[in-house]
Parts: sequence; C-alpha cells; structure tokens
Amino acid sequence: MKNFHKNSWIDDKDLSGDISFIESSSNELQPIAVESILEDERAGLIESNRRDFLKILGFGVGAATLASCEIPIKKAIPYTIRPDDIVPGVANYYASTFVDGGDVCSVLVKTREGRPIKIEGNSLSPIFKAGTSARAQASVLSLYDYNRIRKPAIMDGQSLMEKSWDEIDSLLKKEFSGGGQIRILSRTMMSPSLKNAISEFSAKYNGTKHVMYDPISSAAMLDANLKNFNQRAIPEYRFDLADVIVSFNADFLGTWISPVEYAAQYAKRRKIDAKNASMSKHIQVECGMSLTGSNADNRILVKPSEQGAAIAFLYNAIASQTGGATITSPALNDKAKAALTKVATSLTAAKGKSLVISSSNNLGEQILINSINQALQNVGQTLSFSRASMQRQGNDQDMAQLLKDMQAGSISSLIIIGANPCYDYPMGAAFAEALTKVKNSVCTNSILDETASMCKVLVPDNHYLESWGDVEIQRGRFSLIQPTINPLFNTRQIGVSLLTWTESANFNAKAEQAYYEYLKNYWSQNILSKAKNSSWDQALHDGVIELSVPELASSFSSNVTEAASLITKPSGAETEISFYEAVNMGGGQYANNPWLMEMPDPVMRTVWGNYLAIPIRFDGDRRFISAYNVKENGELVDLSLGSNTYQVGTFKQFGQMEGTVSIALGYGRSKAGVCGTGIGTDFYNQLPVKDGYTQYFLTDIKVGNSSGDIEKNFACVQHHHTLGVTAIETSTGNKINADEAALVDDAFKPLTKGYQGSLTKRTVLRHANLKELPEAIKHLEEERAEAQKLNSHTLYPGHSYLYNSGHHWGLHIDLNACTGCAACTVACMAENNVPVVGKREVSRHHEMTWLRIDRYFYGDVESPNVVYQPMMCQHCNNAPCENVCPVNATNHSSEGLNQMAYNRCVGTRYCANNCPYKVRRFNWYDFMAADLFPVNQHNINKETDKPFYAENLVRMVLNPDVTVRSRGVIEKCSFCVQRIQEGKLNAKKDERSLTDSDVKTACQTACPTGAITFGDMNNESGVLTGKLKNPLNYIVLEEVNVQSVVNYTMKVINRDESLDA
Amino acid sequence: MSVVVSPVRRPLVEGHKTYHQITEDLCSPTEKSPSRSWVIAFIISVAVMSYGFFCIFWTIWMGTGSWNLNRTIGWGYDITNFVWWIGIGHAGTLISAILMLFRQRWRTGVNRAAEAMTIFAVICAAIFPLIHVGRIWVVYYFFPYPNTRGPLWPNFNSPLLWDVFAISTYFSVSLLFWYTGLVPDFATIRNRATGLRKKIYNSLSFGWTGSAKHWQRWESLSLVLAGLSTPLVLSVHTIVSFDFATSVIPGWHTTIFPPYFVAGAIFSGFAMVQTLMVITRKVLHLEEYITLEHVESMNKVILVTGTIVGVAYLTELFIAWYSGYVYEQFAFFNRAMGIYWWSYFGMMTCNVISPQIFWVKKFRRSIFVTFFMSIFVNIGMWFERFVIIATTLARDYLPSSWSYYKPTWVEIGIYVGTIGLFFTLYLIFTRVAPVVAIAEIKHILKAGGDQYIGEHANHSHHSSQSSHNIHH
Repeated sequence: MKNFHKNSWIDDKDLSGDISFIESSSNELQPIAVESILEDERAGLIESNRRDFLKILGFGVGAATLASCEIPIKKAIPYTIRPDDIVPGVANYYASTFVDGGDVCSVLVKTREGRPIKIEGNSLSPIFKAGTSARAQASVLSLYDYNRIRKPAIMDGQSLMEKSWDEIDSLLKKEFSGGGQIRILSRTMMSPSLKNAISEFSAKYNGTKHVMYDPISSAAMLDANLKNFNQRAIPEYRFDLADVIVSFNADFLGTWISPVEYAAQYAKRRKIDAKNASMSKHIQVECGMSLTGSNADNRILVKPSEQGAAIAFLYNAIASQTGGATITSPALNDKAKAALTKVATSLTAAKGKSLVISSSNNLGEQILINSINQALQNVGQTLSFSRASMQRQGNDQDMAQLLKDMQAGSISSLIIIGANPCYDYPMGAAFAEALTKVKNSVCTNSILDETASMCKVLVPDNHYLESWGDVEIQRGRFSLIQPTINPLFNTRQIGVSLLTWTESANFNAKAEQAYYEYLKNYWSQNILSKAKNSSWDQALHDGVIELSVPELASSFSSNVTEAASLITKPSGAETEISFYEAVNMGGGQYANNPWLMEMPDPVMRTVWGNYLAIPIRFDGDRRFISAYNVKENGELVDLSLGSNTYQVGTFKQFGQMEGTVSIALGYGRSKAGVCGTGIGTDFYNQLPVKDGYTQYFLTDIKVGNSSGDIEKNFACVQHHHTLGVTAIETSTGNKINADEAALVDDAFKPLTKGYQGSLTKRTVLRHANLKELPEAIKHLEEERAEAQKLNSHTLYPGHSYLYNSGHHWGLHIDLNACTGCAACTVACMAENNVPVVGKREVSRHHEMTWLRIDRYFYGDVESPNVVYQPMMCQHCNNAPCENVCPVNATNHSSEGLNQMAYNRCVGTRYCANNCPYKVRRFNWYDFMAADLFPVNQHNINKETDKPFYAENLVRMVLNPDVTVRSRGVIEKCSFCVQRIQEGKLNAKKDERSLTDSDVKTACQTACPTGAITFGDMNNESGVLTGKLKNPLNYIVLEEVNVQSVVNYTMKVINRDESLDA
Repeated sequence: MSVVVSPVRRPLVEGHKTYHQITEDLCSPTEKSPSRSWVIAFIISVAVMSYGFFCIFWTIWMGTGSWNLNRTIGWGYDITNFVWWIGIGHAGTLISAILMLFRQRWRTGVNRAAEAMTIFAVICAAIFPLIHVGRIWVVYYFFPYPNTRGPLWPNFNSPLLWDVFAISTYFSVSLLFWYTGLVPDFATIRNRATGLRKKIYNSLSFGWTGSAKHWQRWESLSLVLAGLSTPLVLSVHTIVSFDFATSVIPGWHTTIFPPYFVAGAIFSGFAMVQTLMVITRKVLHLEEYITLEHVESMNKVILVTGTIVGVAYLTELFIAWYSGYVYEQFAFFNRAMGIYWWSYFGMMTCNVISPQIFWVKKFRRSIFVTFFMSIFVNIGMWFERFVIIATTLARDYLPSSWSYYKPTWVEIGIYVGTIGLFFTLYLIFTRVAPVVAIAEIKHILKAGGDQYIGEHANHSHHSSQSSHNIHH
C-alpha cells in the first residue's frame, strides 16, 4: 500500500496498521512477469509472435499503471445480481415505527442502497398524521452508534466475555428453568406481539412477572384513571376540539405523553383565518418556562408545591359554578387565585369544549383533574377512553416492589428490556446494589450503560430499524415495525430471544426471519382477522392499521374528599426546584445521540448540557437582574438539594417564577457512550417519592451565589433573547422597553434608557392580540405598502422576468402553528449532512445549523409571551450575498434559488457578513472529516479513537445526494435542492407538470403542525400560492429590499390581560 | 526647478550642506556597519515577524477556526488590520505624487521613506485578504484568467474583486514610482562602491550615467507616475471602503465612506510617516534633512485630515438620526453606547480630539508630542476600522444572531507579526538605500536655502560648489 503513510485510509485496519491487511492489499495486484507467462509450458502450444508480446506488454504496463493508481473506495462494489427493490441512486421508503419506551411515532424510513438515512412522517397514521418529533428524526443516527454492544456476552467479573448466541441461550434456559422468581423489567411496552411472547415466556417459566416503569412517570394519572374511569390508560385527548385548554405543568407540546399528536391538534386551533379569526385559549399553570408554557396565551405562576393547591382551587371554583361538592383547598398565592377564578369562569362557559390536564404524579391531584373534566362534561368530548392511549403504562408501585424483592434476594432472574433503571430510577443506586443480589441478570440494552454494565448477561437487542415488530399506540390503532437493514452487529431482537428461551411451539427459531413469521401469525390471528378488507401486505405497506373499537360507556366515580387529602400541600419554602423532561433528551436515553445533544433546547437555546433556569426581573431602572448574583448566562452556582451540593450552570430564564428554579432531567449520564457521557448533571437520584409516586420537584433546596465563573464552554446559540420586553420604569412610572434600556453598556446607563424602539421597530417579528387583529392587519398592510413603495425606487430593473416562467420556489411559515419543537432542525441536519460541532465550537458560535429556530420573548417582563421563528436562507431575489462573492460561488438559479457552489467557494465569508438574516455557515474546521486531513478533523466530545465523523459507521448516515462540505467553505439552506431535482425528474418522467406533493423540504415533512409550506409560487393552484394570500403574511426585513421569498404570518395570541392583574 | 523662493522661508535643508556633504550623509548608512541600535531593532523585528508567520502557518494548517470569528462576525482582526495597513500606505503615495504635482518641495525630505513605507504597508495589508479565506489553496480563483471551467470568470460585481485590482495596481505603481526615484541614488552608491557591491548597485541602477537624456527621461517618468498615482491615492481607499459601503449592513451601508476612508487613510499614513521619521532622523542623524519644518508640515496635514475624519464621524451620526431608519439609528447608538463603546471612544479620542493639540505651533514642532500623537493616531485609526467591522457585525439586523468577538492568540500574533514584518523591511531598507532621496534633495538645496535672510541665516554662500555634479 503505497498510501499507507499518507493521511488517507480505507478502513480502521488500515489506520491501525494491521500487518495482515496491508500485506493483503499490497498483494492485490501481483505483477505478472512476462517470462512466467511465456515460460508456461502451454506457451509452446501457442503461436507466440510479436503481436502477442505487445499484447502482454500492453497488459503489463496497463496493470502496473492501474496498480499505481489510488485505490478507489473499497466498498463501492456493484451488485452482481441486483436486488429487485434496489435501484442505485433511488431511495426506497418503508413504513415502520419509531419506538423507544413511551416515545412512539409512525414513520417512513428512507433507505438508499440498503442504508436507512432519513426518517419521514407516515401520512397514513391516524394519530401522528405526517408529523415527527426531533427524537424520531434523530433515531436513525443511533442505528449507526459505534458504541453499541456488538455481540452477546457475559460479564466475567469486570470484563466482558463474548459468547455465541447458542451458548448464551443454553446458559439462560438452564437458569430460567432452575425455578425461582423471574422478572421482566421494561419501560412502557406497546408491542402486542412482544407482550404475547412475554406471556408465552411466563407460561413456560412460572413465577415470571412483567414490570413496567417510566423514567418520567405518569403512574398516578394511570391509577387515577383506573379509579375514576375504571381504565388504567391515558385517554385520547382532542386539543383540536377544546376552546379552552388549561394545563397544569403538562408540557404536552414538548414532552408529555404524545407531543407530536397533541401539537398537530393544538395547531389546528391556533392557525388564524384572517376573515374569520378565532383560536383556542391556552392557559399554562407552571413555575418554569416549558415549551408548552412558552406557547400559551397566559401563564399562571405557581410554585411546584402549589400545583396541588392550584388544581384544588380550580376544582372548587368550577364545582361552585357547576354545583359539585367542594373540598378544602390549601393556601395558594393570591395572584394565581384571582387568575384561576377567571379561568374557571371561561372553562364553565366552554363546557364540553375545554380540556384540563396535569402532569402531576400525585393521585389526588389527578383525581381532581378528572373530576374537573367530568364536571365540565369534557369526558367523551375532548378526552375519551375509546381510543385510550398505551403510551404510558409504568407502575411506580410495581417498580418499588421489584426493588424490594431484589433487595430481599428473592429474585433469581431479571431480564431488563431496553431500560436503564440504575440511571433513571430515583432509587438507581439502590437498584444497582440490589442487582448484585440477582443471580441471573440479563440486559438487552444496546450500549454498555449504567445498567447493562451491572448485569451478568448481555443480549443486545436490535435497533428498531433492524427489527420486526408492532405497536398498539392507541386502542385499535396499530403501527408496524419492519427492518430496513440487516442487523449491523451480532445482535438479536428481544422477541426472538424470549421466544427462543421459551422454546415456543408458535415460534420457528430456525426460520430465516423468525420473528417476522411469529409476528405475521400473531397479526393474522389477532388483528388482521378483526380488520375489514385488510391484508398483511397492505398493513405492512401502510405501516398502520386502524380497527374499529366499541364506544365505551362512560362511567365515572370519584371521591374528591379523599383526593383532597392526598394532594401536595404548599411547602412555604423560600426556593423550590422543579425537574422536567428536556425536549431533546427524553429521560436520558438519547444522550449518546449528538444530533439531539446539539439540538438547542427550544426555550433556553442551550446545547450540550442542562442548566438551572433562574428567575430574571427588571430593576425598574436599566437592568435585568437575576437572583444569586448571576450576571451572565452559564455562571456556576452551588445548588444544594438536601445534603447534596451540585455545581451547575445557570440560565436567566424569562418567565421563571420568583422563588423557583428548574432544571432538566436526562443529563449527567456516566456511561452513555462517547457523545453522551459526562454532559450535564444528573438529578434522578434526588427525586423524592410521595405515596409511592415519584415527584418531580423539591422544596428543601438552597442556591448559592454565583462566583462569576462561567461554565467551561457554556454553549447557547442565542446571545440576545428578547424583542420588546416591557416593564415599568420606577422613576417615571412609565412603561418602557426594558430590554432596550438594558442594551446600553453599563457605562452609559445613568445617561439614557437606551434607544427606545431599537428592537420593537424592527420588522423581524410581527405580533398581535386576537382582539386587535383587524387593526393589526391594517397597520401591517400600510407598513408593507410603504416598504414596497420605497423598494420600487430602484435604478436597476431586476430579474423578475426570469422568475415569471417556470418555477419560482417559495416558502411560507405559519408562526401560529410553529410550537418550536425543533423536529425540523434535526430533520435538516439529517437531510443535508449538517455536521455536529461539539460544545466548545457551539460556545464560539460555530454551530452549522442551516435551519435554526429563533426564540424571542416579548411583552410583559414578568409573564412574557414567546415566539418561535424558524430562520433559514431566505433565498432573496435580490440577494446581498450573491453580488459580494468575488468568485461567483453563490448565485441565483432561474428558479429563484440562492445556490452554493462549494467547490468554487474560497471562503472569504463576505457573503455571511452581508446576510441580513445571518443564516450562512462557515466550515471553520473540517467538521465532517471531508478532507482526510487529520489535524483539521474535529472531535465533538473527547473521542479518543478517532473523530466522530471519521468513523465509517457514522458516515453511513450521510445522505448521498448532498455534498459533504470540506473545511473553509460557506454553506446554508438550499431549500433541499436535491429534493427539488428529484421531484422535477419524477414529474418529467411521468410527463406531467410538477405538483405540490412532488417536492417537500425536509423541514416541511418533519413538522408535526404543518407550519412550513414549500412550493412553486408560480403554481396558481398550489397550496403555497393560497397561503401567500394570507393578509397576516409579512416578510422579515422587507424594507431592506433583498426580496426574500420566505413569508411569515403574524404571530397572534389570545392573551387575556385581565388574568395578569 | 529654479523657482523663486521667498527669502523669509526657512531653508528646506539645514546645516548649510554642500552637495558632497549630502552624498556623504545619505549614503553612509548603507556603507557603514550597522549600529548597535539597528541590530537590536532588527532582531526584535525579525523575532516578532517570525512569530507572526508561525501564527499564519497555524491558521492555514489548523483552519480558520483558530480565529475567534463566528457565524455572525465573519471578519474581525483580519480585515481591520488589512484596512489599517492599506490606509497607512496612503501617505507615501500622497507625498510622492500629489505633493509632487503641487510642487511642495519639502516633500523631498521624506518622500523616499514614505514611499518605502507605502510598499511595506501594502505588503503587510495584502497578507490579510490572502490568509483570511477558508481555502487559501484556491485563492487564485480571484484572478480573471482563461480557464477550462466554462470559462468561469470572477464576479466583477464584488467589491472584494475590485480590491484585488485596486491593491495590485496600487502596489505596482507605488513600487515603480519608488524604484524610479531610487535609480539615480543607486547610481550614486555604485559610484562610491567597489567589488560585488558595485556590481549589484550597478545593475540596480540600470547603468545610470547621469546624462542629460537620462535626467530628462527620469523627470518625465516621475511626472507620469505621479499622474498615475494621484488618482490611486483616492481610488484605493475608496474601493476598500466599497467593501463596506456597498453592503446592506447598517453601519456599513453608508455613502460617506469613500471620502471618509481616504481622509482617514491619509491621516493614519502621515501618522505612521511621523513615527518612522522621528525615529529615523534621530538614529541616522538626519535632523538636517528631515527638519522640524517637515514635522510641522506633516502635523498640519494630520490636523486637517483628523478634523475631516471627525466631521465624517459626526456626519454619520447626524445621518443616522436623520434617516429615521431604526437599524441605522441603532447601529450608531450602539457604537457609541453599546458593548464596544470603548473602541468608539478610543477612536474618537485618538482621531478627533487629540490631533486638535496641533493648533498650537509649539506642539506641532515638538518631537516628543509628535511622536506620541503619531502613535495615538495609529491606535485611533485601528480602532476606527475595528468599530466599523466588529461592532457593526456584532449587532446587525436579527437580534437572535447577535454575538461578541474578541481575538485569539493567533489573530493577535498575526497582527503583531505584520508589524514585525513592516519594521524588518524598513530596517533592511535603511541599510540598502538612501532613506532620503539624494538626487531630489540636491535639487532643492539651493532653491530654499540660498536666499534665506531670516533667523540663523548663514550669509557665506557656498556658490563655489554649486556647479558640482549633483551626484558626486
């Protein structure tokens, strides 16, 4: 290998200098001596002449030349026999289901040449429509996680000993049949076939019990539903039917139960039809700013320990209006009381068309919530059990019992299926200790995590993209999982393992696709038989199937007095902390997924870590001040929870209630793989348990003062957070834009209250209250007309004639539909090979995101509203980036696309400077390991072996249709030009004109709420053209006359100011 | 050049020099062993320059990520330094071209060094556009050369491309002008030299014999080059200002930029000439050639251009207010009172307020004040470019993207390194060429000196030597 000492390699063997590999590759093309051919004994038989000599000579020279050429990429081997369903260069889509514990989403998996590379929504799904979540989008990267356990193994002391499946099976079968108690532990499990397998297993091995728990538990809610409705299930909610939504701390747009489903429903009632404007009213009762709270019209601030009191107060207010029994309710802050009284009135006015929910894990509180909904006649309307959801099934009591049994040593075998209780169970440490008392602990986790490393037998499960399976998401609504790639490693899906150990008669372990056959049998007997006109093939093709279910007769019984005795009593503590699930991290299971690690928290905009949200207020003069002497975001404080003290970074969070702090769970993994280990701080072990239910707040806490030190590489993608936060100036009593006053440097604060209007007059964000909508539309029209008049005064004729024929691509973003969930940003990274750069680089504002979601606070400083503004290249028709590029690397297509020719780019960054929207991204280093230039390659999180993107396994996720950018070039949103080209070709092949459905951008298809519409502005009948006529539309920075083609709608809120009084 | 000069004018060369003395004084630095101070200065300069080159290597090897620029602030120290150095270069051209056309004969005392400074400053400046790009290995894409890609030409709309032409033209013309002036002086050195040195200087002087025809052609060429250079004084910085003025970023998008940049360039250029001259005349004992008259004249230019720049700053503020355009208004409000207020105040203090000291004749003629003022002005002009580039980018249209910039050690290293490069080149220059143009100073020796009747006038005329060949 002549290239061995160069900076290129073909395989990790090559890189590590494996002798046998080098020898084998250097012997690849053996020089063939002419003599050896000529001296062949058969040579005498051939008429050897000058021409033959020349032929051989020619061959020899040719071979030598070939041998001296660089060897092409080794794995580019053409198919000898092409599989029927694979056409090189053409993507295949398979319906499947992303499922991870309680997180589920019906999806289509895009595969290229047999590699899954992208997740899309499944538009046939009755639950998720075509929506996805960031987690679903990122799940394809976890398939290629090189930290996965590659072989079954047993733990031999401290070291792993790899075994064959047969050895493992015989070992385990012996253990299981040895008698004793067997427990199967999983998070929420929604698979009917797997549950069937478990019941077969339980039938064979007596003493088996299946225990389920959820890291973020909804057990109290399930138990309350069992008590009140005789259903231990989550009801199907209909946010789209609710005029008034009251959520007690439930982050239903971000993390609570089924956010993709709820967001779509919610957005339906938030989109504004200018002619007939109406929208739902959403009130969030919480202490920290959640994603859902940030979308709410009004927020009522209560401390975490006051949640119960708030629910009880609302219950009483409604009961007194509807004639129900009242209860004694604990004390609550006066402001919340006044607001909740008004909320109760609007709820009762919307009987049957309202919805009250709570994320509380307190039985009494959940019973009261049920009673409120019952009193409001919402049951059967906005929530019903006919299609009860299976997305949470965990049982805190079962889990506690399991721990007790393990500690008592009465469990002989424990099979942990895709769960990490040593980390995410509040008694994780105790659980880990108790695990040592279990004789036979078996774990299917795919990473050697906190739990797997404590288990004795590792039977790694397949990734869902390598598995067969099924999910019953809601009663009668099924979704199938089909593999899209052969297992990358020697892993086996848990269903197969269980059935093998069972030696089930229904299961043919020798079959090539054993679980497939089991699944198909199970389905044809139990599911397809109940469906009308549905075949297995059709079900597999669609990925989803819906059976009709009987309407449940509503039965309701509730003992509110008993419930009232169970609710949390306000603690009266000075400072309380609430723990919440982060939108990207879930319970922490996504920690090793760098796409999610680097996905900015929608509200805080921080990445790579969890930060303590602390309140911020205006001092009435010039400054925003925060508690604990915190001046800058990221400053470290000591957080004392009971006897434990943590040093955590802080974030000054608008909307955080005084006297409360919040921090996300799911960080601080100690064994999560290269990308997830040691990022942030873990608080699971601090969660208290009350009445058997895990609680997600603490009252006995102290936060120390900041020393002024900022966390190393504290990374927040947004440096400035507000657009017109108002407050009262104490000296004058006038309302001023506090953020504009605070912008002035400290040296000048005595002189000026800033340039009032410097933020609010920018045409970045347009917003209005529903009540003032007609005036706001008129005002917008006038402003836009003025800007357009000024813009028409130009010396240059422009190129608009070019765009009038053919296509002219445009985008419409409905800010009222956008909830900020960030599914689009992850989808964009996946589609466009956008690199993850790691914490340090993000802290230097070197993130590469083509699509970001700007988050601005506006309105009253104490309870501001929030707008999420997806921002990507605006493909300006008068693009300022284009004329400044000295080498024409960025230019305009005749279809109105602002294009980048990476190969031409020299990297002056002039275009990025001149972009008013700051959407251009520069490759500061070789983030994607594109150049094989080791010194430029870039570690994202302390990789020891080689940089993350230099791993061949990781590179399998790259989209082959999109160039991988090298160091030193600018890149930016291309409007998914590869998809446009594909759509155009498809239409051309079919000899028809292009329609809306031919081209959809990655952000558009990922969006659960339909906030993003891409299309041809010249297509008069297109969806986009219709949306462009919305009088609420505006163009960001229209007066700069760059002629952006991205239209945003004005953000409209249904805020009731009287609730703030 | 026989122009009648008022007898009350002070002579341009003091010390009642003879032509021979001039030759001796000005050639000697190239003939003697270097002084201790020269050696020390040279070692320091080379060390600093080497560090700068190491930082440049580091940038290219590691990637532009070794600088602290970011998604919002794409230019920082790099372009600030580029504009600063280009500005400094302007004084040389102004002195040699415009002052020549205006027959300002005092220019002869400083024009050689100023022109050298121009060339060295442009070299320093040219480094930055070259190394600030992400892919230096394809930087040739900038040049319009026939190629097999279409052919694909550069974008002639881009001010950055105009820069390439402006600066390369400027450099070539400046170099030619400087070298033309050096030809007779090289011949003078050749005539005094022996051996290899003689051969080298002979070829450097293109075999100059000093014939009348040579002089006539030399004079014509000088005039032509002066004519060519004159528009360049105005055009180069105008085009550099277009980098900003043609953009859409508030704080950059300003029509006042061309004159404002040119005035600023001359301002900073004269300051740098002062810095160099004050040291050079002391170290090389040229006080009689680079006189206080020179210093005072240049201080007057500094006062005028500094005030022009000040007016420009105030005009910007007024126009921002008058525009009624929120982005523009905020951009200037923020410059003065936002996070980078200190750089704005550095700029205002050093560029506008402190030069006003030169209304007082005593300070204009004080070497000490002049030296410190020249440093002040250079700091102020550096701040001006930093204010325009970094402050503007840090707070542009979308508040979500606002950011902050401070340089890394690499960026600082490169900047300091270019100063090292500049002084290294200048120090070499003082050893190989006469720092004051011998031939030209001899032209004006009589013009300003003989008739002088004022203070310290010497009435014993040296007419006996006036017929000597002027390059002895």
